[in-house]
Amino acid sequence: MIEVRNLTKTYMTHERGHTLREVTRNLIRRPMKEIKAVHDLSFTVPQGEMLAFLGPNGAGKSTTLKILTGVLHPTAGEVRALGLVPWKQRRQYVGRIGAVFGQKSQLLWDIPPVDAFYMNKAIYGVPERQYQSTLNDLTELLSVGDIIRKPTRQLSLGERMKCEFIMAMLHRPEIVFLDEPTIGLDMIAKENIRHFIRSMNSQGVTFILTTHDLEDVEMLAERVIVINHGEIVVDDSLGVLRSRLGDKKSVRLTTESPVPDIRIQGITITERIGPLEIALEIDTSLLPLKRFIREFNEVYGIVDMAIDVIPIESIMKELYMDEASAESAAAKS
Amino acid sequence: MREGLFGAVIRTKFAEQMAYRSHFIISVIMLVIGDLVVPLVTLLVYKSGASFPGWTMHEALLIQAVFALSKGVAFPIFFGMVGTTLGHVREGTFDLLLLRPRPVMLMAMITGFDPDDFGRLFSGTVLFVYALSGMAMPGGESWLQFGLLFLASVTMLCAVSLFLSGMLFRWVGSSRVFDIFDAFTSFGMYPGTIFSKSMQNVLTYVLPVGLIAFVPAEALLGRSGWEGLWALLPAAGFLLLGMVYWNRMLRGYTSAGG
Repeated sequence: MIEVRNLTKTYMTHERGHTLREVTRNLIRRPMKEIKAVHDLSFTVPQGEMLAFLGPNGAGKSTTLKILTGVLHPTAGEVRALGLVPWKQRRQYVGRIGAVFGQKSQLLWDIPPVDAFYMNKAIYGVPERQYQSTLNDLTELLSVGDIIRKPTRQLSLGERMKCEFIMAMLHRPEIVFLDEPTIGLDMIAKENIRHFIRSMNSQGVTFILTTHDLEDVEMLAERVIVINHGEIVVDDSLGVLRSRLGDKKSVRLTTESPVPDIRIQGITITERIGPLEIALEIDTSLLPLKRFIREFNEVYGIVDMAIDVIPIESIMKELYMDEASAESAAAKS
Repeated sequence: MREGLFGAVIRTKFAEQMAYRSHFIISVIMLVIGDLVVPLVTLLVYKSGASFPGWTMHEALLIQAVFALSKGVAFPIFFGMVGTTLGHVREGTFDLLLLRPRPVMLMAMITGFDPDDFGRLFSGTVLFVYALSGMAMPGGESWLQFGLLFLASVTMLCAVSLFLSGMLFRWVGSSRVFDIFDAFTSFGMYPGTIFSKSMQNVLTYVLPVGLIAFVPAEALLGRSGWEGLWALLPAAGFLLLGMVYWNRMLRGYTSAGG
């Protein structure tokens, strides 16, 4: 469905200073700097997949998404999506995709979402009967009802986001690109949106998601591509990504006596929640859980304990830090 | 009911404007007053006994009326794209127009449709009727020539909007483009013959602002004849150039950070 080969995007930007002297100098002369936004990306996305792009700010996720949606031209490389080259056959292509940007609204602020839907219907040339039936399905699925008839500016962020999804889905796209779709939403609104995405995905719609909300990833994505400095660091399932960092568990512990700063192989104290409550990370290949529980109970007296898999946040943090330290080592050598 | 793209967008834009009725009404009134300032000065000039040599007051006002009428058509339909480009390119939301399965130029133009600019059409019509009331009614031939040249005038303004809008892909966030337009076109509000010969040549062949009002008004007054229709050619050429320029500048669009 989507095939990406050696995708590269570089662009030139001004190097600007912040002091008065530099700002004044910039009025006359602006040194240019080449930025490698993405470099040599290759991957494929089969139909019906739910793929998440992860990476720190400025990693190249949004640039990749913009190239895949046909908004930007790449500097080099090939992309074929739905049998088309997005930026060359843009009109044909964008009629078959949808996009939701958490930070760029497609609704019209002063008028009700239903008016904006109607405008999109005309732009996409959706037949009246199909429009009505899709709109009914989507409003029911997202439980928006009369909300779509209120001025957009009177809606809550969660309600607006639901309407953004309707806007993006009215023409029944085959691929939907989501850029931070749950940004700023409360837990209930997030859950509603995730439920909607899962439901659409079960109907065969492919979703490509970029987000910093790792809960979105855990709840939605089957596969994760981690990008850093414009290059793919990991392209695998979430399960495999977890196992890459060893057999680790996250433990939250309440003890009878305080646990001091200890140096035991396989244990890392990640947070001191209270005088008698801490969060730990245990590498069970170095320290089996059974032994950890026995020894800690003997020394500090375990009152309460919760064991969980390592949260994806920790995995990502470790991954980004590995990358950063590898880079600084390369720079030193 | 199946509604066309233009119908749907224009209806939506009207609905947007009507959300703040007082803003809409004040905007229209301000535009009407603003467009009548120069004709009022012309009126005062003539009332004080001075004049534009070779032009009666009503003839001079006719040029300014044609200018206002031409802007009354071009501004609501074409010039909104300048503001659309200005805002969308700066904020990186121009992406949203590129995500529509329609020509980008068309999307920029129709989403920039600005109904309150039709106020200019009102002031132009009032002035036009007043100017005509003080002269002999033109014949059918003059009306036909005027109609064609008025089309050329609107075409010219459409081309100008494309140049200004295109400039904003590179010259991001520069709201001064509207001042450039005013400086560029204000010469077109006066009879070309009041300028020196060299200036007349500049205003006809280099920056053809004379096409906006002076040339169509001359045709309506029966001063130019059929040979005056030469102006259709540069107007078409200018539009073509504007379209090529706009599309070329669009390629330089880099969006904003994600």
